[in-house]
Amino acid sequence: MIFGVRHSVAVATTLGTLAAVIIAVFTWKGAQVTSETFLVTTYIGLFLGALWAMYATGLVVVYTTTGVFNFAQGAIGVFAAFFYWELHVNRGWHSILALFVVVGLFAPALGVVLDIVIMRRLRTASLVVQLMVTVAIMVLLLSVVGDIWEADTARRVPYLFGINNGIDLGPSQLPWHRLIVFVVAIAIAVAMRYLLRRTRIGTAMRAVVDNRELAALNGARPNVVSSTSWALGSMLGALGGILIAPELGLDPATLNNVVIIAFAAAAFGALKNLPMAVIGAMLIGLLRAHTVAWLDFGSDFRFAHLSIAPLLLLFVVIALPQARLEVGRLVHHLRRHERFTKWWEGLIGCGVIILLAVAFSGGWLDFGIWDPGAWGSRELNSANEAMALALIGLSLVPLIGWAGQINFAPLAFAGFGAFVYLKVIDGGWVTFLGLDRLGLDPQDIRDIDNGYWILLVGLLCAPLGALVALPAARLRGLYLALMTMAFAQAMSLIFFPNPWVMPIIGTGRQFPHIELFGVTFDDRRGFFLLLMCVFAVVVYALVLLRRSRYGRRWMAINDSQAAAATLGVPVVWTKVVVYALSAVIAGIAGVFWATVSGNVDSVQGFDLLIGFNIVLLVAAAGVSIPVAGIFLIFIPLFTGLGHRLEDSGNVDFLVTLLDIMTTYGPGMLVLGMVFNPRGAIFEMGRGFSPILPWRSDARAEIAAENAQKREPEIGELGIERPFTPEEVIAIDRRLGILDEVVPKEGYGTARS
Amino acid sequence: MSDETANPLLELVGIRAGYGTIDVLHGVDLRVMPGQVYALLGPNGAGKTTTLGVASGQIQPHAGSVLLDGHEVNGVSPDRLARAGVCLIPEGRGIFPNLTVAENLRMSTYAGVSYKQVQERAFAQFPRLQERRNQMAGTLSGGEQQMLAMSRALSTDPAILMLDELSMGLAPIIVEELYEQVASLAEAGLSILIVEQFAQAVLGVANEAAIMLHGRIQRTGPPAEIAEELTAAYLGMS
Repeated sequence: MIFGVRHSVAVATTLGTLAAVIIAVFTWKGAQVTSETFLVTTYIGLFLGALWAMYATGLVVVYTTTGVFNFAQGAIGVFAAFFYWELHVNRGWHSILALFVVVGLFAPALGVVLDIVIMRRLRTASLVVQLMVTVAIMVLLLSVVGDIWEADTARRVPYLFGINNGIDLGPSQLPWHRLIVFVVAIAIAVAMRYLLRRTRIGTAMRAVVDNRELAALNGARPNVVSSTSWALGSMLGALGGILIAPELGLDPATLNNVVIIAFAAAAFGALKNLPMAVIGAMLIGLLRAHTVAWLDFGSDFRFAHLSIAPLLLLFVVIALPQARLEVGRLVHHLRRHERFTKWWEGLIGCGVIILLAVAFSGGWLDFGIWDPGAWGSRELNSANEAMALALIGLSLVPLIGWAGQINFAPLAFAGFGAFVYLKVIDGGWVTFLGLDRLGLDPQDIRDIDNGYWILLVGLLCAPLGALVALPAARLRGLYLALMTMAFAQAMSLIFFPNPWVMPIIGTGRQFPHIELFGVTFDDRRGFFLLLMCVFAVVVYALVLLRRSRYGRRWMAINDSQAAAATLGVPVVWTKVVVYALSAVIAGIAGVFWATVSGNVDSVQGFDLLIGFNIVLLVAAAGVSIPVAGIFLIFIPLFTGLGHRLEDSGNVDFLVTLLDIMTTYGPGMLVLGMVFNPRGAIFEMGRGFSPILPWRSDARAEIAAENAQKREPEIGELGIERPFTPEEVIAIDRRLGILDEVVPKEGYGTARS
Repeated sequence: MSDETANPLLELVGIRAGYGTIDVLHGVDLRVMPGQVYALLGPNGAGKTTTLGVASGQIQPHAGSVLLDGHEVNGVSPDRLARAGVCLIPEGRGIFPNLTVAENLRMSTYAGVSYKQVQERAFAQFPRLQERRNQMAGTLSGGEQQMLAMSRALSTDPAILMLDELSMGLAPIIVEELYEQVASLAEAGLSILIVEQFAQAVLGVANEAAIMLHGRIQRTGPPAEIAEELTAAYLGMS
C-alpha cells in the first residue's frame, strides 16, 4: 500500500498517465491554448460528463437496487428518445407534456413490466443468463425502435428552450438546455444518493438485493420494492436518452453506444458508488473534450478519441480491487444431466453434416423452391455468411459454455485472424524477418495455396487470446463481461479502422479466394462445402476436447475455482489455454468470414452489436453444446429464404414472417433462456428423444421425471390413513416387485 | 403452565408442509400462550425451522391452519405478518451484509416503531452497535451480527417473537448475553417461540418445551421433564 492505495492501482495509474502524456506529446495539434479556449473546452467536457453521469447514475441505481447489471439501460433511453420525438415533434405535443408521458408514465410502466415478466424469474439464474437476457432486451428494444421509426426519415430532437437561448460565454454560448442538463444530472445524482442512503424505501431496495426473504421478514414488500427499483431505473434511462438525443442525433446505434461510456463511469465507482460514478463521467467528459480540442490522431486513428471510454473501462476493471461483488447473491445451480457425445457419435454427426453439405452443393436434393440447391448467389452468400458466423460462434463453446468465461469479443478475435491472414499470405514478413537472405522470396509464399496458411493464422491468434486471458484470470462474471466488451470496442475503434490492418473497401476483393489442394474456392457453392467441412472438423475437435482432461478442467473452474485449485488444477494456466483455444478457433473462422465477400467493413463490420448477436444466439442455442454454433445460421438463412420467396413472387405473408423472425428471433430466443437456461438445442434433443434411437438417456430421464410426478407420496405408510391401491403399486415399484405382484383390490384398504 | 381458558397467541393445527413434493412436517400441532416462552427442541432435520417458516408465512402449509390470536392467517404473506407484529429472527445472522448497521436498523421500522426509537433502543441494549453504526454489517463479528439481528426483536415491540437457533456458531459467553436479553423480554411479558438444537441455554428461559422428531411433535411438557428425555430422543429411543 502506498498512501492507502493498492500497489496495482498506483502502478496502473502511473503507467496510464505516462502513456497518455506520451500520446499527447506526439499528437499535439499545435493549436494555441488560451484561457478562453481552455475554459470553453472545459465547459463542453463538463457538459458531456453530465450527460454520461445521468446514464451512469441509472446504471448504478439499477445495479445496487436489483443486483442486475442492465445492458439494456441505454436502449431504454433510445426508445424513450424516439417516443419523445414521436409525441413532441411528430404529433406536436408540448415538450413538458411529452416529457411527462414518456418519463413519468411510459418508463415506469416499462420497468414494472420488465420486472414482472422477466427480472423476477432471473433472480436465481446464473450470471451468464442474467447478462444474456439484459443484452437480449437491449437488442429487442433497438429492433423495435428500428421497426417503428424507420431510418429513412431524418429526425431531430430539439433542445429544450432552443439552441439560441442561453448564457453568453464570450467565444461561444452556453444554451439553457446544456445548463439544465448539467444541473439536472447533478441533482439526480444527489437525489439518488439521498434516496438510497437516507430513506427507508432506498434502504429496502438495497436490502432486497442482499436478502429478499429477510427483507420480507422485516415487513418490506419485496415484489413492490423491486418493481419500484426497475421503474426508477427505467425512468432514469429514459430521461438520459431524451436529454442526450439533441446532442447526438436520433440514431439508435449511436445513442445506444453511449451506454459504454456510462459503463466506464460506473466502473469508476465499482458499479455501486454513485459519487465516484459521477466523477468518472466528468473525467471522461473532460478527457474527451480536451482530446478533441488539442490532439490530432491522424486519419489512421480517426476514432481514437472515441476510444477513451472503452480504454478507461478496460483500465479501471483491471486495476480496481473487486471487493464484495458476489456477496449476498445466491445462484441456484442447475441439475445437470450431461451426456458425453461418444467419439463415434461425433464422427457420424460430423459425417452427416458433410454429406448434407455435399448434397446441397451438388444440388442433388430437389425440394422445389425450398431447395437450397437451387439457390442463387444472393442466397448462397447469406448461407456462407451464416456458416462463417457459426464458425465464430464455435469459438465461444469452450470459453463460455465450458469454462464459464464470458466473452463479448468474438468478432475482435475473428478480425484479428483476418488481419494476420492477410499479412501472412502477403509474404512481406519474409523480407521483414530477413529470410530473403536465406534464398526465400515473398513470391514463394504467395505461390503456396493460401489455405495452408490458415492453420498458422490460428496459431498466431493464440497469443492474443492468452493476452486477454491474463487480466481475465483475476476477473469474474460481470467484470469479465465488461472487460471483454471494452476490449472489443477498443479494437473496433483503434485497431481495425487502421487501413494498414483492414484494407479500405475498394473495387476488388481484398481477401483472395481460398485455395486448397490446388483448388480455388471461387465459386460460392464450393465455398459453402468447404465451410461446412471446416465446421464439422471443428465441432468434432470440440467433441474430443470435451472428453479430454482439459474439458474436465474447464468444467471444474466453471463450477468452482476454489475447489478446482484445491484439487491441483492450475487455474490461471487453464484459463489461458481456453482463451488461446477460443482465439485460435475465432481466428480461423475470421479468415473465412472475411473471405465470404472478400472485404470487411473496417468500421461497421466490427460493431459491438454484431458481436452481441453472435454471443446471444450461441447462448440461446445452448452454449455448452458444440453444434449450437449452427444456430447462427438462422439469421442469414431466413434472410436468404426471404430473398428467394420475394424473387419468386411468393406470398408477402411469408416474407414478413421471415423478416420478423430475422429481426426479433435472436432476442426472443434468448428471452426463452429465462425459462430454460440450458438452451434450445438441449431442449430440442430432449423433445425429439422419442424418435432418436441413440437418446435412450434422455428418454430414461423423462420417464424418471414423469414417474416421480405420478408416484404419490408414500409418507405415512398407512399409519394415519389406509393405503390406496395406487400407493401399493408405488411401494411395490420401489421394492422392485411390481412384475411379480398383481395388486389385489382392497389390499390394506378399509373398504367403504 | 398455560391457562387453558385463555386464547393461544399462536396456534398451529395439523400442519403438513414441506418443500416441493416432499413433506417435512406431518401434522404439527403447537400452541404458544400469551406471555409464554415455548422452546421447540429437536435434532437436525426434525422440521423445526420449517415450523417457524410456516408460522411466519414464509412457507404455505399443504394442510392445516395457522392461527394468530385466533385469526386464521394461512396464505398471508410474510411481510404482512411482520408488519402485524410477527418477528422471526432467522437462523444464521438475520442481517443485510451490504448495508450498514444503521441501515439494518432502518429496515426494522416497518413494524411501526420510528427509526429514532429503534436506534435508541438497539443502542441502549447493545452499545457496541452504536460504535459500529456506519460499518457494513457483513464486516461485524459473528456475535455482533447476531446482536444486530436480535435488536429487531428488542426494538420493534413485536406481538410474538420467533428465534431460530440463536446460539448457532457463537461463543458461549455471547450466547449467554443474548439469552439474558431473551429472558428480560420474557419477563416483560412477550410471547416467544424458540427453536434450538441444544437445550442448555434455552431451558433456563422457557416455561414450556417440546421435542420435535421426524416432522412431528413427540412430547410437550415442562422444561425440566423435557430436558431429561431429550438425550433419549436424540438417540432415537423416544
